[in-house]
Amino acid sequence: MQDAALRLHAVTKDFGTFRAVDALDLEVPRGSIYGLLGPNGSGKTTTIRMIMGILGPDTGRVELFGDDPARTRREKVGYLPEERGLYRRMKVLEHLVFLGRIRGVDGRAASRKATDWLERLGLGDRAQKRVEDLSKGMQQKVQFIGTVLHDPELLVLDEPFSGLDPINQDVLEEIVLEYHRKGTTILFSTHLMHQAERLCQRVCLISNARKVLDGPLEELKRNEADGIVAIDFEGPDAWIGGPEVLRSEVAGAGVRIQLQAGADPQPLLERAVAAGARIRRFQVEEPRLHEIFVRHAGSRVGSAPGTQGAAARPAEAAVHPGALP
Amino acid sequence: MSSVVGAVIAREYLQRVRTRTFLVGTIGLPLLMLALFVVSALMAGSGGSAERSLALVDRTGVLESGVAARLAAAGFEVESVEPGSVAEEELESRLLDGSLGGALFLESGTLEVGSARLRGVSVPSLLRRIGIQQAVSQTALEVRLVASEEGPALAALLSGGELHLETVGAGREDTADEDGTTAMVAGFAGAFLLYVVLLVYGTMVLRAVLEEKTGRIAEIILSSMRPGQLMLGKIVGVGAVGLTQLAAWILFGAILLGTGIPAMLPFFPEGGLGFDLRAHLPGAGVFAFFGLCFLVGYFLYASLFAAVGAMCSTEEEAQQLQFPVVMLVVVPIVFLAPVLDNPTTSWAMGLSLFPFFSPILMFARVAAGAAPVWEAALSVVLMLATLMGTAWVAGRIYRTGILMQGKRPTLPELWRWVRYG
Repeated sequence: MQDAALRLHAVTKDFGTFRAVDALDLEVPRGSIYGLLGPNGSGKTTTIRMIMGILGPDTGRVELFGDDPARTRREKVGYLPEERGLYRRMKVLEHLVFLGRIRGVDGRAASRKATDWLERLGLGDRAQKRVEDLSKGMQQKVQFIGTVLHDPELLVLDEPFSGLDPINQDVLEEIVLEYHRKGTTILFSTHLMHQAERLCQRVCLISNARKVLDGPLEELKRNEADGIVAIDFEGPDAWIGGPEVLRSEVAGAGVRIQLQAGADPQPLLERAVAAGARIRRFQVEEPRLHEIFVRHAGSRVGSAPGTQGAAARPAEAAVHPGALP
Repeated sequence: MSSVVGAVIAREYLQRVRTRTFLVGTIGLPLLMLALFVVSALMAGSGGSAERSLALVDRTGVLESGVAARLAAAGFEVESVEPGSVAEEELESRLLDGSLGGALFLESGTLEVGSARLRGVSVPSLLRRIGIQQAVSQTALEVRLVASEEGPALAALLSGGELHLETVGAGREDTADEDGTTAMVAGFAGAFLLYVVLLVYGTMVLRAVLEEKTGRIAEIILSSMRPGQLMLGKIVGVGAVGLTQLAAWILFGAILLGTGIPAMLPFFPEGGLGFDLRAHLPGAGVFAFFGLCFLVGYFLYASLFAAVGAMCSTEEEAQQLQFPVVMLVVVPIVFLAPVLDNPTTSWAMGLSLFPFFSPILMFARVAAGAAPVWEAALSVVLMLATLMGTAWVAGRIYRTGILMQGKRPTLPELWRWVRYG
């Protein structure tokens, strides 16, 4: 795809003898919400730090908007690091203006935008207060504002929802979706699969420094589908069976059908309708992202291969992303 | 790019200049010193007027005018009382009711051995006693000398004599007739001031870096500029605060010297400080070298302090790790007195050419007039060369360290940071 906001070409990073990121290719299409998923210590933060130019890759190349990142990064990218922090003794508005200025926004414009944002997030009366006098939740809001003050074209958010109270999770999600509607590309990392499942259009799963899977979320789910169709119906049931069906199991008013590998469920539906059954529910069950992830990364992170569910939850790796060896 | 560094510098500067500590240090401290100065001058000069009043009863008949003049010069209000008069009889009651501070009796023994009697309700301060005693003994000596044949010729001896200083050496004739002590004082005071500001602002850089690191703010800033730019911005910002403070102090000193001291002179006994301060100020060259030493020395130490700050994760760690750098500032102060005592020796020269000691020791020698221009120039060149080295090393340590959390690096790790950056 020509129109990628961000591309990584075989990016590798070592810390001493520890390989944090191994030959990672990544392509984030413009305007998409992209999830970088993986357990703690899998290399997400290191990858993001390389995207942000805080770390240099040992080999490989980062490309932003088809260009050398050094030139475009400052103005076009907004960054919310995993470890968040502000100068505690600075006044809120002054701090935001500073964050704007280091992103290339001139002082007056930064001040105007920051004031608007503060008003919008209900912090209008705190503009002249010191950061340390604000509650933690308010500080988090100030941090979001600082991330988007220069209207970036790409938002890079490292574990954006961790450590946020539920209200601020909603606030941040709203900001993210608003920017998404404006056409901003959003890349975020998370180890919370349900969050990714809800927000992302595309995901990349990494585990132990390597890419495991990537692509559009729907496509991944379809490819990973187990071929189970749940059907609730009234009327005749003679249509159950046929070349697609491996086995079936009637339960109450419904039936669970295990399809043959790779079979299309569509003819089954057609036969059911033709046979005069009233279909109340026809659902091709898709695996949860969590299950897909475990299926593919499980063996790498130490779980027994092939197992599913809670038993195969990805083990937490020993290395914390913030603590580089 | 430069506007980004500018934002860092401006933030660092404004945040620090607006703090109460800075205001107190810059304006309050000199004001406090001025207040102490004025108060001590007032106390020394005026005291209570009754306490300073002294009745003089001269039974020798020859000492009265001399002693009265000397006592007046020492700040006493002298009232001569005729021996055996009614006034003398009233002295006791005046002493008791407090309208008179003391009564000085000059008797036969005064001219012989300089003994005199001072009557009063309380014992006067040591300084006053010494002043009175000297007035009496000097006058007695003078009177007896004048009575002798060679007396007048000996008057100069009595006044303390004079030491003419001459130094021999190539290119230093111009300083030959200067008073060496004031140059020495300038060297000592200037070097000490340098020591204080270099240490204060060096450690301020360390704390600024540490704040950024422990406050987890470095990462956001580093996503929009290179670590070297952030480090430079921090160092320049804090340095500008230091310069502001120095400038304020110098301005204050100039005002004090120009108007303050002359205005206060009437309060001093003996018509002032005994000499004209302004005549003893070092020349413009010394001031310029002071500024240069501050700037180069500051960048030299600040880069090291920044590297130390980037290596640490806690205040306690920083306290320990800054020790070697602090020693680089403290050691020259230890050598300051010996170097100023023997400023032209080869070891003094060697110590002052060592780049980390130069800001303090070379300045002291230049101010004392003991270092030729080429030595000063050489020390600046050496300092700048060292600065390039330390800045490079510190920049690499900073770059890696600023993002590290947790344990501090071991020496081999540190070496890796420097080598591979």
